[in-house]
Amino acid sequence: MKSYSRLIFYFLIFAVMPGVFLRALIWTPAAEFLGESSRILYFHVPVAWISVISFVTAGYHSIMILISEKERDEREYKAYNAAYIGIIFTILTVVTGSIWAKISWGSYWNWDPRETSIVILMLIYISYFSLYSALKDNVNRMGISSVYLIIAMITMPFFVFIIPRIYPSLHPDTIINADKKIHLEAAMKLTLFTSIGVFTIFYGYIYKLMNRISSLEFTQQEKRNDN
Amino acid sequence: MNSRILNNIKKDFLIEIRNRSAVNISFAFAGITTLSVSLAAGGAPFTPVVHAIIFWIILFFSAMSGLAHIFIREEEEKNSLFLSLYYSPEEIYLSKLIFNIILFLSISVIVTALYLFFLQVFPVYPLLFILTVISGCFAIASITTILGAIVSKAGSGSSLFTVISFPILLPVLWTAIRLTSVSIDGSGVQEYRNIVFLLAFSGVIISVSYLTFKFIWTEF
Repeated sequence: MKSYSRLIFYFLIFAVMPGVFLRALIWTPAAEFLGESSRILYFHVPVAWISVISFVTAGYHSIMILISEKERDEREYKAYNAAYIGIIFTILTVVTGSIWAKISWGSYWNWDPRETSIVILMLIYISYFSLYSALKDNVNRMGISSVYLIIAMITMPFFVFIIPRIYPSLHPDTIINADKKIHLEAAMKLTLFTSIGVFTIFYGYIYKLMNRISSLEFTQQEKRNDN
Repeated sequence: MNSRILNNIKKDFLIEIRNRSAVNISFAFAGITTLSVSLAAGGAPFTPVVHAIIFWIILFFSAMSGLAHIFIREEEEKNSLFLSLYYSPEEIYLSKLIFNIILFLSISVIVTALYLFFLQVFPVYPLLFILTVISGCFAIASITTILGAIVSKAGSGSSLFTVISFPILLPVLWTAIRLTSVSIDGSGVQEYRNIVFLLAFSGVIISVSYLTFKFIWTEF
């Protein structure tokens, strides 16, 4: 059963994901006003989605470290790995976003609300890693870095209220608008959602791999300490 | 519990009054930053928004220079273990929070007075201006208290403090800058509702800090 599910996993990543990329680049029609550059949508949105998911995953493990006594060491590297993937995907989001912004709005950076919130997310990740590395010799590293991540996480909802009041938005309101519908053609919508789906599976795959590596390193370290 | 917290605050104030250098340096830092802005500007006119931005940047860096001190001192003097023997983590947190709020409010009084005097700013709504300064400083002090505890445990000083505080202080700074610029130029007085936001934000941070402080202060 286990190898069977793993086979499906590999099939999704190594066969379906390139298929979705091809579909995004070739078969999906380009958007009316934006032209061919609109195809970056199928990479930009999933990458941004992953950076938020990683933040939530890291936050979840941080909360669990504090409230439950089980698997604390495992949760520590799980939170760290999620943040690690998160910062890479946040940088990818900023890069793909600013390329697209240059093409469609004329400059690489505009301080649009969503650009601002992704920069704040990046700042939080950077502070988390600075703190984590500064706590290297502290026995309480896992508790302290978890508390920081939790405080950062409860700050995020406040940005949702604050930022739109300060910066006017340039982003199309495809997700948040009055009639609560996504204004995209059916073919584009399908490509976008399959792309988000395969990216999420890809995220799960690298996250699992990183956790396996960390768990091996952890047991190796423990054995070394025992000797 | 109340008398124990008061006891701890009294102890902190006594130590700070006996050895005035740290508090003096915080006040001097705030004063010198304000004066340097005024000297560098040399009477050049600023728009209300620029005034608000500079004013809050001065307050932000004054907070960064002074507010982690109360925890770093306990670590440097190796007192933190004795403190945790006598007080519960919640009592330590609340007493340090109150100390930081009092310290930062007095720093902000000096900065505000110097800023208004040297840069010739006359807010159209003085009450809104004062309320903004008080609630903004309250929010900054409540956020930096828990982060100061984190920094003191990391043992790497004030640069880490600035790095980890900035993303969390951003909503406070944005709101406070907007409110201050409104109170100076007198447009959109309905913005006063945002003071509630500043107070609510500090309330949320204080309650989460109260719950999580023991994980920072004691090994688990």
